[in-house]
Amino acid sequence: MSPAVRRIAAATAVIALGATMIAGCSADGRETIRFTFSKREALEFMTGVVADFNASQDGVRVEMDTSGVDVVSASFVRGNPPDLMLANYNYEVARFVQRCALSDLSGTDAAATVREDLQPLMEQYGRCEGRVSALPYSVMAASVIYNKDLFAEHGVEVPQTWDELIEACETLESAGVTPFYATFKDDWTIGQGWYDYSAGGSIDVIEFFDDLAAAGAEVGPDSPVSFEKDFSEPMDRMLQLTSEYVNDDAASRGYGDGNLAFGRGEAAMYLQGPWAFSEIAKTAPDLDLGTFPLPMTDDPSDLAVRVNMDLAAMIPEGSRHKEAAREFLEYLYQPEIIEAYNASQLGFAPTTDAAPPDDPRIAGMQEYYDGGRVYQGPSVLVPKTIPVFNYTQAMVLGAAPESVLRTMDRDWARLAFRLPAPSDETKESSK
Amino acid sequence: MTTTTTIVTGGKRRPRSTAKVEPIYYLFLLPSLILFTLAITVPGAIGIFFSFTDSIGIGDWNFIGLTNYVALFSDPAILQSYLFTFGFSIATVIAVNVVAFLLAVGLTSRIRFKTGLRTIFVIPMVISGIIIAYVFNFLFSNSIPAAGSALGIGWLETSLLANPDLAWVAIVFVTAWQAIPGTMLIYIAGLLSVPGEVYEAADIDGASKTQQLLRITLPLVAGYVVINVILGFKGFLNAYDIIVGLTGGGPGTATRSIAMTIIAGFNGGDYAYQMANATVFFVVAVLISVLQLSLTRGRNQLS
Repeated sequence: MSPAVRRIAAATAVIALGATMIAGCSADGRETIRFTFSKREALEFMTGVVADFNASQDGVRVEMDTSGVDVVSASFVRGNPPDLMLANYNYEVARFVQRCALSDLSGTDAAATVREDLQPLMEQYGRCEGRVSALPYSVMAASVIYNKDLFAEHGVEVPQTWDELIEACETLESAGVTPFYATFKDDWTIGQGWYDYSAGGSIDVIEFFDDLAAAGAEVGPDSPVSFEKDFSEPMDRMLQLTSEYVNDDAASRGYGDGNLAFGRGEAAMYLQGPWAFSEIAKTAPDLDLGTFPLPMTDDPSDLAVRVNMDLAAMIPEGSRHKEAAREFLEYLYQPEIIEAYNASQLGFAPTTDAAPPDDPRIAGMQEYYDGGRVYQGPSVLVPKTIPVFNYTQAMVLGAAPESVLRTMDRDWARLAFRLPAPSDETKESSK
Repeated sequence: MTTTTTIVTGGKRRPRSTAKVEPIYYLFLLPSLILFTLAITVPGAIGIFFSFTDSIGIGDWNFIGLTNYVALFSDPAILQSYLFTFGFSIATVIAVNVVAFLLAVGLTSRIRFKTGLRTIFVIPMVISGIIIAYVFNFLFSNSIPAAGSALGIGWLETSLLANPDLAWVAIVFVTAWQAIPGTMLIYIAGLLSVPGEVYEAADIDGASKTQQLLRITLPLVAGYVVINVILGFKGFLNAYDIIVGLTGGGPGTATRSIAMTIIAGFNGGDYAYQMANATVFFVVAVLISVLQLSLTRGRNQLS
């Protein structure tokens, strides 16, 4: 090869390389944005939405990426994040919030339609000062699922207080009906259901975790709040229920067994979220089910349902197509789309003027959700480093609650010792 | 990093120091050297570097010195995972080698259907660990309790996996079930290498079968025992898939292995801390390999 030819070849290569790097412009001149969405149950719905959007205008083309949270995390590390994310909002995703890797969405129309009282729940995972980093898209509410036929057959009313709950359990048990179907083999079902409902129905979750974060490495027997102090009563009540009113083989039953057994009417109550409805419907499509918050105190005004931000919308700071991504974001937040999505997944729309869901199975939680009487599960508000699901399983299977709760205090303090609390961190970085 | 077990084959073929090494040998060495460096040494060094920071895998990070290590050594969960992993490895190594050796002795003696039986016994080796774990999970959680209640045996009715004190027994059992064939094959190879004449001589001298096993067979395959124990122990220290499939580290935190703790930390964004844990585990593994190298070297010089 002569030097001249070589030079031309090199130049061509550079041009070819550069052309592919010119940010995401497709052959037809439309701006392409990468949209990550990996909720398996809703892929079909979302594929339809994306196709409709692509057909509705010719400026932007959305490409859906369903590869999941680990791949998304890796793309942040490589500095090539997606343009729009619609993802489960949890500690793993909140890392990006805490390190200010997400752009501010406060100016969007979508932000204006979102209920303000959900903001404190979003901020429980940390925030980036002065920014609305993520907008809730779908809220899942979870509480006790109950078999309406069994309740009616034995004359049991939906309990509003702890005493009424015990009374209902006694009535059911003396009639030969297992009050609760429990699946202790899968530790997450204990964390999500028993532990979260018990603690969430007893204490102010937001306040507790704020104080816990403030105490940081000092959490222990002498701190103002601690798991050992504040959780011991709810845990004792939880253990009273799990030791007396559940199926005998609970320790060797898992989530799948539970859905099957509950569908067959083997118990009156089941501590699961709305995701279990479609599973139960596989064996019992016509079962008449309802939901109510687990009463843990003697005051009906303490009743609250557990919510989680099943989906939140985020636009990474590193995206090169923020404007186009915002365009699609606004499209997603149109009332007919966001409400249809939530209805299809038995979720609650986070927008102020959303129509109530018409599915009778989740109607029992509507008044609590509307009234803001909601909490996020204490099991998801601790970083995954603390194996809280395992700990709750140990308690239910017989470990002393005091010692387990003390271990959680120590774990929290140790974590705060080596990683300062998220809120402190953002304050420092904003200085 | 310590996955290669070098068995030094004695001093007979030690190269003369004066001989010039053919350059072609370096060429052979080069690809693996490059791959090893890029895929293992460099990432390992980066990981150790990050164990002195507060990185969560993305974004900015700061040097925090030995803070992670200080927290690590006061963490009962980490300590428990080390105790569990070592206890489990020792128990499994013993169980696997005893059973595999006895099976190998049986399958090399003059019995019917030898080939067929060998094939059957080797099947567990070719099934993936996670599948084995899920099948046994079902057996322990459903079939055995069902059998227990049908036969009226009370202690069988609750799953072994739900018992915090005994769940490790189930894990040892399933891991052994999977690991025995591989170990057995090595023992069969060892037993076949023992010359037949020594047994003839022993027969003539009037030694019983038990005496032959203990006085002749065992000493002659001792080198294979060492290899099996070391390879097995090293493998069991990395226990992950079978535990995930059987107990997920539970009940409670009773069966969390070191590898599970490290991986859980990565998934939870606790990158730097578990890098420190991995570094400690690496040092422990290096110590064990130094020990095993010196042991095997001694063994082979004796023979």
